Amino acid sequence: MKKLLSILLALGLALSVTCAMAEPVTIKFAAQADSTPATQAVIDAFNASQDQYKVEWVDMTNDSGAMREQLTTSLKAGSAEYDVLSLDVVWAGEFAASGYIQPLDMMIEDAGLNVADFNAGSMASGLYNGKEYVLPFFPDLGLLYFRKDIVSEEDAAKLVAGTYTWDDLLTMAEKYAGQGGTTTGIVFQSSLYEGLICNANEFTSNWTDIKGGLETMKKFTSSKAVPSNILNYTEGETANSFIKGESVFARNWPYQWGAIKSDGTITTDQVAVAPLPGGSTVGGWLLAINKNSVNPEGAFAFIQYLNSEEGQLIMSEKGGYLPGLNKMLTDERITKADERLSMVGFQNALKTTIARPVSAEYSKVSDALQQAIYPYLSGSSDIDATVTAVEAALAQ
Amino acid sequence: MQRRMTWKEFLFILPLLLLVLIFSLYPILSSFVYTLFDYQTNNQTKNALYTGATLNASLYAEDCEYLAHYLKKDLATAEAADQPTLTALMETLVAQKELYANSKQTLSLSAASEQEISALIEQIRDTVTSLAARYPDFRVVTKGPQLLNEMETCLVSSNYVGLANYARLTADTRFGQAVGNTFEFTVISVAVELVLGMALALIMNKAMRGIGLVRTTALIPWAIPTAVSALIWCYLYDGTSGVVAALFTRLGLIASPELLLTTQGGTMFSAILADVWKTTPYMALLLLAGLQVIDRGLYESSAIDGAGAVRTFTSITLPLLKPSMLVALLFRTLDAFRVYDLIAVLTKGTPETLSIYAYKMMIGQSNYGYGSVIVVAMFVLVALIAFVYVKVLGAELIRE
Repeated sequence: MKKLLSILLALGLALSVTCAMAEPVTIKFAAQADSTPATQAVIDAFNASQDQYKVEWVDMTNDSGAMREQLTTSLKAGSAEYDVLSLDVVWAGEFAASGYIQPLDMMIEDAGLNVADFNAGSMASGLYNGKEYVLPFFPDLGLLYFRKDIVSEEDAAKLVAGTYTWDDLLTMAEKYAGQGGTTTGIVFQSSLYEGLICNANEFTSNWTDIKGGLETMKKFTSSKAVPSNILNYTEGETANSFIKGESVFARNWPYQWGAIKSDGTITTDQVAVAPLPGGSTVGGWLLAINKNSVNPEGAFAFIQYLNSEEGQLIMSEKGGYLPGLNKMLTDERITKADERLSMVGFQNALKTTIARPVSAEYSKVSDALQQAIYPYLSGSSDIDATVTAVEAALAQ
Repeated sequence: MQRRMTWKEFLFILPLLLLVLIFSLYPILSSFVYTLFDYQTNNQTKNALYTGATLNASLYAEDCEYLAHYLKKDLATAEAADQPTLTALMETLVAQKELYANSKQTLSLSAASEQEISALIEQIRDTVTSLAARYPDFRVVTKGPQLLNEMETCLVSSNYVGLANYARLTADTRFGQAVGNTFEFTVISVAVELVLGMALALIMNKAMRGIGLVRTTALIPWAIPTAVSALIWCYLYDGTSGVVAALFTRLGLIASPELLLTTQGGTMFSAILADVWKTTPYMALLLLAGLQVIDRGLYESSAIDGAGAVRTFTSITLPLLKPSMLVALLFRTLDAFRVYDLIAVLTKGTPETLSIYAYKMMIGQSNYGYGSVIVVAMFVLVALIAFVYVKVLGAELIRE
């Protein structure tokens, strides 16, 4: 009887081992829907590169605020629902402080990686209490897109070199609006959400000239060169307007270049990019591991793959994402495929990046800033009260 | 005289009482308890209700591991004289890590072990400081101070704050603004709905051909989920392509079409209009039920007495409809007072009502302590409204 039992047990074990070998461990990756095929391609490539893990993409809402709420609700409850999390740069400090994600130093060291090899801005936003919690997914920065087939050569040179002011831009927007089939001059983000803060950061030159910057911003939003509902514009409306050839200028993130290519009624030959007068807000996404993940090794293997030359090539080729691995910014395979990196305006923008206010309670600061600035733009608050409120929010 | 309940009869209702306790009293009580704490889920020293000294064991073990790891690397280049102290320190850290690594996330601490841990942290800090001058490149020197600061936060003290959260509420202008917005929305929308709902109910109460069709169509807005109807209105109010926005601009009601969804006054008006459109049928339905129980004979006798339509309405319909009106108004007022989904979908949060503010505090900023105070304040206001209704409108009802 005993013998029979042990045979059964051995059989059972053998069976479970073969099962385990046949079925790779599933790693759940929480990320927003990608308008390009890059994310799916990089996941497929990772799954094909080894048979130990299988990454499954859990689609998140494209509304960043809603996604943050979805993630925190799950993480707060100690759920292991997601293994790898993609985080907006401004969330990392808060997620680390809350104990939702795990530090990666040991894994980075064991894998023989060096923190200094990755995008400095991304790594800095994931550094909390001396521990590194993230690796980059892709860095991002605010850019001014303009129609070089409409704008005069002289103006284009000024834009690309970054030797223009916000007032110059408004004058140009008013001048060129309506030309070449466009219906409006300039579009940017000023709805009541995080994008408003990114744009206000640029208008106020990283909050150094709050009064002047906000007054300029108001001059823009109440100008005839913007759509009348500019105060409802997010990135989606901005990209939509520009790629359909409706606007001459647009402030948006680097992804818009890929969107022009895939869905645009205009072509990239008609478009150039320029740095913004007040500096370019740094954005982008990071990768982190859920503290309660049962497969941190598998999660890290995926993150490491995304940050390998191979992964970065796929992200760049298929989606036009900027590499987070520094040496790839000058890698020929990428600069050849990604014409943006060879553009002077783009390289100039990379040199003038500015960060948003840094805080472990960033969401609170951002909310207070939105509540201060939006009423001013929509006309229900005056400039002095707004400046006082903004200063109070920044002092938090 | 009512008969007293025997214990056997009591046993029959006991399961129901237990369910009521678990599902309604417990959540209410726990939000009351939250208000007494500085409870913020995005801060590891405040992410639970701590009443006594507690250790954030997992973070403490992690920090010990980090320090031990850095010490081990640094040992290779340390002078022979320093080796024994550093090795001993490393072993203590490894032992501490082993001790706490597999325990629960947070542990209650006795006064003795609390002192032991803070003494250890001080000891490491002294060692790190003494090393700093000679080995500025050591990782315990560059990273150590930050890790030690974090270790100190692992010793969590009580976050009970008593009534401080309530004190903060009295000075919060944003809360005052939210109360004002909520009352403005509630009073205007319920008043308009009552008048329109009454008119609709009177029409639906008439026996005429095709009344079934009228009743069905009238109910359609109410049958649409609020989030969906908010989206529909969002398209109608849109500054560039919205029909309603364009119509209002043409009629001269607003200066330009985008004002409806961007200004404070515009969003308030938009929210009220969408709410009136959606819930008037519900008001009408409640009033219709009241109309149908009024005795037809009363109308006949009043007609014989020569009363006109207005007199019949004010002397018969209104008084007899009072109980239904009270119920309808109470339901609608409390509903309107808690408005969240309509505004959240329509404008992403303007005008900011109490529910929206509470949501932003709790979910947006992870501040459950203060957020709960707002919820409790809403609870009190709702209780007051219900009290006033019953007192003013329902005095006779209770007496009967």
